Amino acid sequence: MIPLLEVRDLSVAYGGIEAVRGLSFSVPEGSIVSLIGANGAGKTSTLLAVSGLVRPRAGRILFDGQDITGRRADRIVRAGIAHVPEGRAILEPLSVAENLDLGGWILPDRRSLRRAMDRVFDLFPRLAERRRQMAGSLSGGEQQMLAIGRALMVSPRLLLLDEPSMGLAPLLVARIFHVIENIHRSGTTVLLVEQNARQALRISQRAVVLSHGLLLRDGESRSLLSDPVIVEAFLGKA
Amino acid sequence: MNRAGLRRFLPGAITLLILAADAFISVRNHADLDRLLINGILALSAFATLHARMLSLANAGFMAIGAYASAILSVKAGLPVTLSFPAALAICGIVAVLIGLPVLRLTDVYLAICTLGFGEVVRILIVLLPGLTGGPTGANLSTGFPYEAMRRVDTGMIAVFLAMLVYLFWTMAPSKTGRAFRAIRERPQAASTMGIDIVAYRSLAFVMSALIAGAAGAFYAHSVGSLDNGDFRFTRAVDILGYAVLGGSGQWFGPLLGAGLLTALPILLRDSLGASIGFLRSFAQLPNILTGLGLVLVIVFLPGGLAHVFRAQVTARRPHALPPGRTGEGHAVPGPGVARPAPGTSALLSVKGLGRVFGGVEALSGVSLEFDEGGVYGLIGPNGAGKTTFINLVSGLSAPDSGTITWRGREIQGHRAHEIARAGIARTFQGVRLFDEMSVLENVVVGHHSRVHTNLASTWLRLPRETREEKAAMNEAAVLLARLGLSDLAGRPAGALSYGDQRRVEIARALALDPRLLLLDEPAAGMNDAETASLGSFLLELKRRGYTLIVVEHHMDLIMGVCDRIDVLNFGRLIAQGTPAEIAGNEQVLEAYLGREEG
Repeated sequence: MIPLLEVRDLSVAYGGIEAVRGLSFSVPEGSIVSLIGANGAGKTSTLLAVSGLVRPRAGRILFDGQDITGRRADRIVRAGIAHVPEGRAILEPLSVAENLDLGGWILPDRRSLRRAMDRVFDLFPRLAERRRQMAGSLSGGEQQMLAIGRALMVSPRLLLLDEPSMGLAPLLVARIFHVIENIHRSGTTVLLVEQNARQALRISQRAVVLSHGLLLRDGESRSLLSDPVIVEAFLGKA
Repeated sequence: MNRAGLRRFLPGAITLLILAADAFISVRNHADLDRLLINGILALSAFATLHARMLSLANAGFMAIGAYASAILSVKAGLPVTLSFPAALAICGIVAVLIGLPVLRLTDVYLAICTLGFGEVVRILIVLLPGLTGGPTGANLSTGFPYEAMRRVDTGMIAVFLAMLVYLFWTMAPSKTGRAFRAIRERPQAASTMGIDIVAYRSLAFVMSALIAGAAGAFYAHSVGSLDNGDFRFTRAVDILGYAVLGGSGQWFGPLLGAGLLTALPILLRDSLGASIGFLRSFAQLPNILTGLGLVLVIVFLPGGLAHVFRAQVTARRPHALPPGRTGEGHAVPGPGVARPAPGTSALLSVKGLGRVFGGVEALSGVSLEFDEGGVYGLIGPNGAGKTTFINLVSGLSAPDSGTITWRGREIQGHRAHEIARAGIARTFQGVRLFDEMSVLENVVVGHHSRVHTNLASTWLRLPRETREEKAAMNEAAVLLARLGLSDLAGRPAGALSYGDQRRVEIARALALDPRLLLLDEPAAGMNDAETASLGSFLLELKRRGYTLIVVEHHMDLIMGVCDRIDVLNFGRLIAQGTPAEIAGNEQVLEAYLGREEG
């Protein structure tokens, strides 16, 4: 079976600085794969390359068997990949509903837009309560829900999540991970970048570990949880 | 000259070469060359305000003042240019200070509109004073303004003046003043928390810009030999802005390049097209149309301006690479450079009844807390509980609606951010606010702002003090970076770093202020557990060195591991206070914040 996403020898560089160096991994359909690693390891750059926001220097990205390397970001969304960026990047002066509207930009008509929004509101009832409120006035947790909801508007086959738990209170962190599991259960494949490596490994089936832009480990999450190198570098004491 | 020196010199040399080439190709007569040089001067006057994040369109007005002042003094009072020129500059300076006092409170588009209005007022005054200025028709014998009597200047003199300006901007760029301007340009608020007095620097930039534009005007008057108020319409202000747009306003040589091209190109086109293709001569506007087309192409394909092409080299020339073999080991973090007070004296910082309302919502209400010197305090609570508001009030970025903030016995609520920073309170930002275009090392050196005792005079005269102080600040910054494990990144533009690394740079930058109190707003966000743990041990080292810390954080391991006391906020009120152990078992805190089940 071909994997839903396959990354082959990916290199990403900014000016002379190489952020990702010859990275290869794949994401099987219907799985959660975590991408973990220290700061500056190249996790975010990898996601940006997949969603077409940066052009890779080398390598290929295959989605459902099709080469999408270097395609424009909007075409990649149409192909079925949605990206929740680091730091949420919601549009603060717009209302919750307007943010979701924009998330559904590529939907063909009002009716499918409405249906998509209802689906998001089912998942996040809190957003329904605040649909008219300015997005910038939401709490941190609600903003993260909005960012995820906005990406889900297009019912993507692959959801890219970049540090969804960042800056959230402990109670909310637990809730966000529940949400990710729910999204996965409803059939969406997830590629998850997280600094909260322990939690990420717990909910994912496979994990890819990066170090200085290179692949350090690629394996089952459960086995990585007890891998001494990984414990030492990312998990700290239990 | 060593290699680094050569690299520093390179952009300037290239610019001068291009300008020289421009001049050589296009000059058929002195008038064209004068115009090229004068427009170069005007370009620098635009740069002076733009690099302090001010969109001022007053240049045309100051140019008019300089031109008419020098012309009138020359014609009516019979002064030589060597006297009328400085007198015209003095008048421009005085007007700039008077206009600047009210106008500099405005920002962005309001400043642009207001300064545009100033330019028009100047022009109308010129029209309304025919006895003095020749009025609407300019040179008019009946008004008794015989331009023929005006002294002329040499092209060489204008060139020397432009070269001098280039030297001033070139040497200023890497100095304390240049850094302050770049910091203000990128993030004014963060700059003010580095102890940079934004109003003072903006005033300086505005006056500099006015003097330079006035000089350009005076040269213009003595070069052209006649004046017309139409020369100083707002289209002139827009032209000057065009130089900066075309060339890019990030570096001083950008607008200069823009001016060179926008002036030389129409001259070149006029000379070549006009002579060769006869029938095209009827299209008088053709050179302008082609120039406009070029401008559009640059904006589309090089949004950062022509100077953007040089940016990579410029960033590379500023890495100030650390001495080899320098690692974090063995380099102690310098402690606060102030004597400890005797124990038992009053709290270092105390807030009483602190309140702040945003649009009817109480972000903070009636919060009273005391912080003793040398302690590590955790401030936790759900998102939106008022933690960041608290930090903003203490660091002076916003003023409280009620309550007092007492710092070492003195009330400081409502003081401006740079005053509070200089008094010894430094902070980091939840959403990281580094100066993205500066190198990591430069970011930290900006933190030294109020401790580097150089000024423009020492910069321009290359006094020994300048080199000494700069080197000391660089070295200290390098040590701080090494201690935070950032040595390898010192030469990178800060914006290219990952989130977690940027947070560490922010901490280094805050420490560079030599503060007594450090306010950290989510320092571990974006760090993994191992990185968070090493941040924790770094914070404990800071505590040992005598710093006082207030840490807002959601990583409970960090908070529990380093704090002496934890204060819990919810809906803007203090709901609990205690040692980590007490907080971990507090019912209310579990309910509102921590949650019960353990992952």
